[in-house]
Formats: sequence, C-alpha cells, structure tokens
Amino acid sequence: MRPPSPSIPEKEFLLSALKQGLRLDSREFFDIRPVTLTFGPELGWVECSLGKTRVLTQVEAKMVRPPPDRPFEGFITIHSEISPMASSEYELGRPSEEEVTITQMLDKVIRRSDVVDKESLCILSGQRVWHLRLNVHCLSDAGNLLDCACLAGIVALKHFRRPDVEVIGEEVIVHEPTSRAPIPLSLHHNPYCFTFAFYSDTSINPVLDPNLLEQRLNGGLISIALNAQRELCVVQKSGGVPLEPADILKIVNVAVQKAKDMDAFVEARLQEDWEGRKIEVR
Amino acid sequence: MSLNLTLSFDSLSRVDGSARFGFGPHPQYLSSISGPIEVRLNAEQSSQATIEVHVRPLTNVPGTESKKAAVILKDILQMEVIVEANPRTLIQFVVQALIPTPKLTDELVAAMINCCTLSLLNSGSVPMRGVICAVSIARVSSLDGKKPVYRTQPMEEHNSRVLATGCFAFLFSDSFSSNTYAATCVWTNWHTVYNRSIEAIDEDDLVRARDAAQKAAREVWIRMKMLVEERERPGVKASKTLVSRSTDESQKADATDDDDKMEI
Repeated sequence: MRPPSPSIPEKEFLLSALKQGLRLDSREFFDIRPVTLTFGPELGWVECSLGKTRVLTQVEAKMVRPPPDRPFEGFITIHSEISPMASSEYELGRPSEEEVTITQMLDKVIRRSDVVDKESLCILSGQRVWHLRLNVHCLSDAGNLLDCACLAGIVALKHFRRPDVEVIGEEVIVHEPTSRAPIPLSLHHNPYCFTFAFYSDTSINPVLDPNLLEQRLNGGLISIALNAQRELCVVQKSGGVPLEPADILKIVNVAVQKAKDMDAFVEARLQEDWEGRKIEVR
Repeated sequence: MSLNLTLSFDSLSRVDGSARFGFGPHPQYLSSISGPIEVRLNAEQSSQATIEVHVRPLTNVPGTESKKAAVILKDILQMEVIVEANPRTLIQFVVQALIPTPKLTDELVAAMINCCTLSLLNSGSVPMRGVICAVSIARVSSLDGKKPVYRTQPMEEHNSRVLATGCFAFLFSDSFSSNTYAATCVWTNWHTVYNRSIEAIDEDDLVRARDAAQKAAREVWIRMKMLVEERERPGVKASKTLVSRSTDESQKADATDDDDKMEI
C-alpha cells in the first residue's frame, strides 16, 4: 500500500522551520535521537531503539561445509525483511525501496567491509567452518531505519559468543556453553552508519538522523558508515539534489565525531551487560 | 497452580497496538495489530472486516510452521474480533517470535494467542467479543498409575511421560465481578503424542483436560486484567485482587467533581 504523502501544510511547516534552523522535535541539526540498547537473555540478541525507531537483531552460528573456492574462511549471511509491524505500508513479499536500500547497505557495511574476521571462523579447512547468520527484524519505522539496523547489527555481532571448538586430528568437538565458556567473534573494526537528509532548498543545512517526516520530505539522503578510527567504509548518496564538496566534508567531520561517541556508548553498554551476566569460570 | 508469565504492553509507534507475552521469565512473542485500516481490493469483503495474520520466526524465513500458526490464529481471531462492525477494512496482525522456535509446540501456540489478545486490548480500536486466553495442557502418566494428571507448561523432565497434549483457548467475558464470569472453550487441538500412548482419547479425558485448562486460562485472564489496570491507573499499585465495584462508584464521583471544576 502506498503511504499517504505528508500533507502540504506539514511540508511547508517543516521546510520553513528548517530554514529558520529549527527541527520539529527540538533537536539540533547534528543531534541524534537517544539510543537505547536492550540485550536479551541469549547472547547475540539485541533490541536497538533510535528514538521511536526500533530494530531487533539476533546472531546464530552453524557449522557447515565451506564452498570449494574458499575452504579457509567462514561466511556471514544477513537476512533482513521489513514486516508490516514496522508500518502497515510495508507488504511482505514486495520489497519496497527502503527495504532494498537497507539490505544493500547492511551488506556493504557489515559484510563487504570485512567486519568479521572470516578466517577465524574456520574450524577444519575444507570441511567445517562457521556460518554466521544475522537476522534483522525491523519492529518500528519512525525514520532512519538504516542507521538503527546497522547499529543493531554491529552490536549483536559484538555481543554474540560462539561455542568453543576443539579440533583433534580430523575430529571436531564442540563444547557446550556450560562446560567451556563461549568465545567472542573476532572483529576487525566496528563501523557505524550515519544518515543525513538534505533538502531541495539549499539554504537548509543537512540534518542528521532524520525522523519520519524529515525523511519523507527529503531532497536527498547521504549515509556515511565509518568506524571510530576515522576510516570511511561506505558513503552512499541517494536523491537528486546535488551537494557541494564543502558540505560533504563538513558532514564527514560531524560523522567522525559521532562515531567516536557512539563507540564509547556501545562499549559501555556491552560492559554493563556483561557484568550483569554471572559467568562462573571454573 | 500459579503460572509463571511475562506480559507487557509495548509501544511500537507505527501500529495501533502491540504487546509481548511469554510463558516463563522472558517474553516469547511480540505481536502488533493495525486496524481497521485500508484493505487491498482483492482481499476486501463487503460485509465484514478481513483479518490478516503474519507469523514471523526469529531465525529463517517464514515457512510451513509459520503458515500453520497463522492459519490457527486467524480462525481464533475471527471468533474474538467482531468483524461485522467494520466492513471493507483490514485488521492486520503481525506476530514476531523473540526466541528461536524450531518446532511449533502447543505452548507456543498458546503464547501467540495470548499475545494477539493483549495487542488487541492495547489498541482499543477493534471491537472484541471477549478476551481469548489460551494455555497448553499435557496429560502425564501418573506415578501411581491410577488417576491421570494434567499439567500446564510441561517441563522438560515430564517429556518422556507425556501421553497427550494440546492447547485450549477460552473466550472469557466479564459480568459483574471476576467471580461470576462466562468462559467457553472456542478452540483446541488435544491429541495423543505420536507413538507414545496406548490408549486413545475419549470424551471424559477431553472434558477433564478442558476443565484443567480452564482453571489455568482463568489465571492468564486475571493477569491480563491486572496489566490493563496498571496501565489505566499507573499511580495505584496493582493489587493482587482486582478492583471491585465499590471503587468504580468512587471513580464516577471523581469524574463529576472534575466536570464541576471545569469552567467553560
């Protein structure tokens, strides 16, 4: 079902407010909404909310035979589908533009930028490797599902612990979590995605983390994925309105600062959650 | 027997109602409802609302188990929602599993039903015939071999002794107080466990199982009412017993005071 477009009064109000430097939810132009991370009882289950936008992710690992062209590496697959729970405008079986964007970006940010060290997922080369599956469920779309999904995906990978495996000759023994503590995934880096919306009226500055109305009325979106070490992973621009190079550099600098803050926040939350789980090491 | 339940209203922003439910300390399902909303032309029914249910597992694409659950839920929700009240509209349910569900057990079916009921209560936009609560019951072989024992929420250690199992859904509607209420069993899938039981199910067995289930379902119903009470009156701490009629009278008096205070 096609979403009802924002009405003309809404559009005029938003654009004139943005021209005056005001956002409707009283945030600054480069403020993101409050982020909350909720961890589930199982390791690798995270519910991330960016304001009212919510995404649930879960990581699971299976042992499989690797493809013959890459016998030394495990692999990761990302499954994301938006259900009508996120909004009744999404239909199952018919990927909307938003869904396609999210799938492609998640692929680029998490899979193609080599977040997970795939060689560490190898158990017995040519015979057994770990196949990680990241399931992303979008629970509520209140604007900027993409950033929320990427954040939830990275946090889930950081939270997940895989079972400890021992290889003796050709025999593979998988230890239960109760007998040997599961081990965390080996991640090369932690990219975070930041989306900016800009408008056809070029006097309006780009806004970070657009909410639903801001996203609907955008003249273009630019998403930047980078890690806290100032390394850019993905820069994706969609929408027709052209951006000046100076604007893009300004946006990148803002994103760098936000990535550092986000990284610190995520680490603090993970630490807090880990302390809450009583793991007895015998 | 007091059940260990987790239930809460959620606050998903793009749907009309949402809730979580689980048998045990953690929620098993999150469900959402949107309705009555616009319906596609090919699904439109001229004299009643169309009910659409989507069941989504946590891992993997929805497959045959999810489709089976969706069909069961649609039948039950058809009885719970007054569909004639909103013709030519759509009432859309989405049930998202929060735990891995490799097999569709009776307990999970019961949890899904309760979750949908809770989200209907949360939305308030869809007229309901009553509140449907479901529990799963198992008949275990009793240790003394005589009287059959019915247990809710079969634990792992009972698995080898389970002879018959099933989920029962009851439609509850209140009359004056929670002491007098009407409960009808609207759906069940009571069946013997394959290859385990020597004797077949007879009518007496079904009636006994249903009675045991009704007691347990009533507990679920009472917990749901307590949740609604907490939501409606957040200042008042949810009491163990539900509000009686006398407090309703005092609430009416408060309302008239407010009217007097308003100056128009």
